[in-house]
Amino acid sequence: MIHRALRHPSFVVGLAITLMVLLIAILAVFWTPHDPTAIRISARLRPPSATNWLGTDQFGRDVFSMLILGARNALLVGIVAVGIGLSIGVALGMVAATGEGSLLDEGIMRVCDFTFAFPAVLTAILILTFLGPGLVNAIIAIGIFNIPVFARIARGAALQVMARDYIRAARAAGRSTPGILARHVLPNITGILIVQASVQFALAILAEAGLSYLGIGTQPPNPSWGRMLNDSQTFLAQAPTLALFPGAAIALAVLGFNMLGDGLRDVLDPKSLER
Amino acid sequence: MQPVSRRVALSVGLAAMALSIPVSASAQTPKDSVVVCQTLEPPILDPTGGAAAAIREVTYDNIFETLLAFNGEGRIEPRLAEKIDSSADGLTHTITLRAGVTFHDGTPLTADDVKFSFERAMAPDSKNSQKWIFAPIAGIEARDARTVVITLKSAVGDFVDGLAWADATIFSAKSADKAGTEPVGTGPYQFVRWNRGDRLLLKRNDNYWGKKPAIANATFRFISDPQAQVAALTAGDCDAHTNLSAPEAVPQLRANPNLRVTIGRTEGETIVAMNNGKAPFNNPKVREAISMAIDRAQVNEGAISGFGTLIGTHFSPNHPAYVDLTGAVKYDPAAARKLLAEAGFPNGFSATLRLPPPAYAQRGGEIVAAMLGQIGIKVSIEPVQWAQWLERVYRQRDYDLTIVAHVEPLDINIYARDGYYFGYASEAVKDAVARTKSAKTEAERFTAYRDAQRRITADFANVYLFMLPKITVSRAGLKGMWSNWPVPANPLGQLSWE
Repeated sequence: MIHRALRHPSFVVGLAITLMVLLIAILAVFWTPHDPTAIRISARLRPPSATNWLGTDQFGRDVFSMLILGARNALLVGIVAVGIGLSIGVALGMVAATGEGSLLDEGIMRVCDFTFAFPAVLTAILILTFLGPGLVNAIIAIGIFNIPVFARIARGAALQVMARDYIRAARAAGRSTPGILARHVLPNITGILIVQASVQFALAILAEAGLSYLGIGTQPPNPSWGRMLNDSQTFLAQAPTLALFPGAAIALAVLGFNMLGDGLRDVLDPKSLER
Repeated sequence: MQPVSRRVALSVGLAAMALSIPVSASAQTPKDSVVVCQTLEPPILDPTGGAAAAIREVTYDNIFETLLAFNGEGRIEPRLAEKIDSSADGLTHTITLRAGVTFHDGTPLTADDVKFSFERAMAPDSKNSQKWIFAPIAGIEARDARTVVITLKSAVGDFVDGLAWADATIFSAKSADKAGTEPVGTGPYQFVRWNRGDRLLLKRNDNYWGKKPAIANATFRFISDPQAQVAALTAGDCDAHTNLSAPEAVPQLRANPNLRVTIGRTEGETIVAMNNGKAPFNNPKVREAISMAIDRAQVNEGAISGFGTLIGTHFSPNHPAYVDLTGAVKYDPAAARKLLAEAGFPNGFSATLRLPPPAYAQRGGEIVAAMLGQIGIKVSIEPVQWAQWLERVYRQRDYDLTIVAHVEPLDINIYARDGYYFGYASEAVKDAVARTKSAKTEAERFTAYRDAQRRITADFANVYLFMLPKITVSRAGLKGMWSNWPVPANPLGQLSWE
C-alpha cells in the first residue's frame, strides 16, 4: 500500500505540502525570527528585506513571523475542530446505525439534515454571535458544523459493515453491541473517516480564515491568516505585496490537505482507482 | 463552459466595456442633487432620543432646527430664535421666535412648540442625552405666539449656548412622537424615505423660512467599511464623504483629480477609557502606569496615519480655555512597569479591551494592547457592535478598558456625572464643573474649565490620545461641505455645485 501511495502524485504532493505546513507550525511554537506582536510604527509597511523577509504590516510587525505563527493557529483550529466533529459525529453515527430505523436513528439523522440545510460558515457565524468572537469559540463553532458531516458518513459506512457475515458471527458468539462497534465496525470504517477528516481539515482552515477575515475569529494580537488578509486589503494601494502572503498561505494549506485527502481516498480504497 | 457561451460572455463583456464611458457619463448626478456618504447609520432620527452622533449628522440643520445653531466655525448664531434677551441677573431669558416659520406638515411654529419641546426633553422618561441643558430651568412660559420666557433656578453661564445643541431641537406637538422614524421639522430639508441599512432621502423644503437651498434632492448613504468608502468615492457613487474611515487612503484620493480632500478638526477627544470604579483600575498608580505605557504619538500614527492632534486632557485645543497637558504624562514603559510593581502587580494582570467598530478604535486598540503588553498587562481584545457597546460599556459599565471618541463639544462635564461609565468621582472636578455653570464672567468660567482639565489629568482618569480628525472628501465642483466638525452636522443647505 505504501508503494502504491508513493506513486500517487496528488498524495505525494499533498503530503509534502502538509508536512511542510506542519513543520513550520511546530517551528513557530519554539522560534519566530521576530516577536510577531511587537509593534514598531516607524517601520510600518516596509517591503521585503533581509531583516523582514516578507516585509512589515501596518503596525510594523514582521509579516513572516506572523505568517508562521498563523500556520500554528490554522492547524490548531483544524486539529481541534475536526477532532470535535470526528469524536462526537462518529459516536452519534454509529449509535444511529445500531438502531437503524429507530426513533433515535431518525432523530439524529433529521437533526443532521437540518444543520446541512444551512451553509457551514453561516452556522459558524450564528454560533459566534451567541458565544462572542474569539479563537476558542471559532474552534467550537467550526467543530459543531463538522459533527453532522461525520455522523452521516459514519452511519452509512457502519450500516454497510454491519450487514457483513462476520458481524453476525460476532453477535452469535455473544459479543455485545458496543464491543462489536469498537472491535469490528470502527476499524473497518477508519479509512473513509480519515479521507473525510483531511477534507474537513482543509475546510476548517478555510472557515477559520473566513471567520477571522470577518473579524469574529482569532483576535489580535494572535495572528491569523484571514485577519492578515483583511488588514492588508486596506493597504493594497500602499503595500500591494502584503495581501499576497496570507492569501498564498491559505491557498497552499487548503490545497495541500485537499490533495492529501484525494490521494488517501485512492490509496485506501483501491476500488475507486479501478472505476 | 461551452465555447459558444464563452464567446457570448466575452462579447457581452466587451460591449459593456465599450459602453462604460457613456454609461458612467450619463450616470453622473444631475447638478441639483447630491449623495453624501457617511460612515454610521443613525439608529433613529430623533436627536433628543439618543446619544448617537449619526442622528445629528443627518438631521441637524437639515430636517430639524434649534433656537440657536452652531455654524461651521463653531460660533453660535440665531436660528429659530430671532433674539434672546437675558436679564441682568441671568435668571430670565426672553426668546423671540422668527416669524413665518412652519413645520413640514404646514403647522406654524409657535411659542407653545418651544415649551412643549423643552418639557418633553425634561420629562423623567425622556431619553435626551444632554439633560444638563434643561436642568437649570424653573419654568417655561409661552407669553404670546412668538415669545417664550424661560426662568432659571439659578444663573447658569452657558445656559443659552446649550440651546444650540441638537438635544434642544424644536418639535411640533403634533408630530414629535414620530420623530424617530418619520421626522417632521422646520429645517430646509424634509424627510422623504429611509431605506434602513442603505440610505435616507431628503427633498428641499420649498416653504423654508430662510435662504433657499441650491440642492433639490439629497441622499445620505451609509457605508461603514473603509475600503467600500474609498471605492464608492472613486466610482462616483458618493459626491462626498463626511469623515473618511480610511486615513491611509488619503494620498491615493488626493491623487485623483475628481476629488478634493481636506483634513479638518472635530471635537472628538479620543480616549482609552478605564473603568475607574473597578479593581485594579480604581488604583491611581495602575492608571498612571497605563498612561505612561501608551505612546500616543505612535497610536496617532498607526491608527489614523498621524492626522489627529495629540491631547493630554479631555478638552478640545480649538477652545480658548484649553490647557496643553500633552507633556503631563511622559511615555516611559520602564517607569510604568515599576509603578505597576509598586501598585502590587509586579507580574502585571489581565484585562479586556472592548472595542467599538470604527477603524480608529480597532487599530488603536491593537497598538494599545501591544503597548500594555510591554509592561506586563495581558490585554485581550473584544470587538463589539455599537449597540452592545452602548449597552454593556456605556450603560452597565461592564468593562475594563475601551477606546472611543467623545464627539460632543465642551463635554468635560461628564467627569462630574455620577454613574457615568468612567466610574470616576472627584469632588474637585464636580466643584470645577459647577463653577463653569455659575461663573459670572467668561474669565471665571475659563478658569473653572482649566481647573477641571488639570484635575482629571492629575488623577489619570483616562488616557487621552488625540482629537479625531475630520477627513472630508468631496467631488470637484461641490462646495459647502463643512471641513471642521464643531458639532457633528452636515448642513445640506450650504451645498452647491459650481
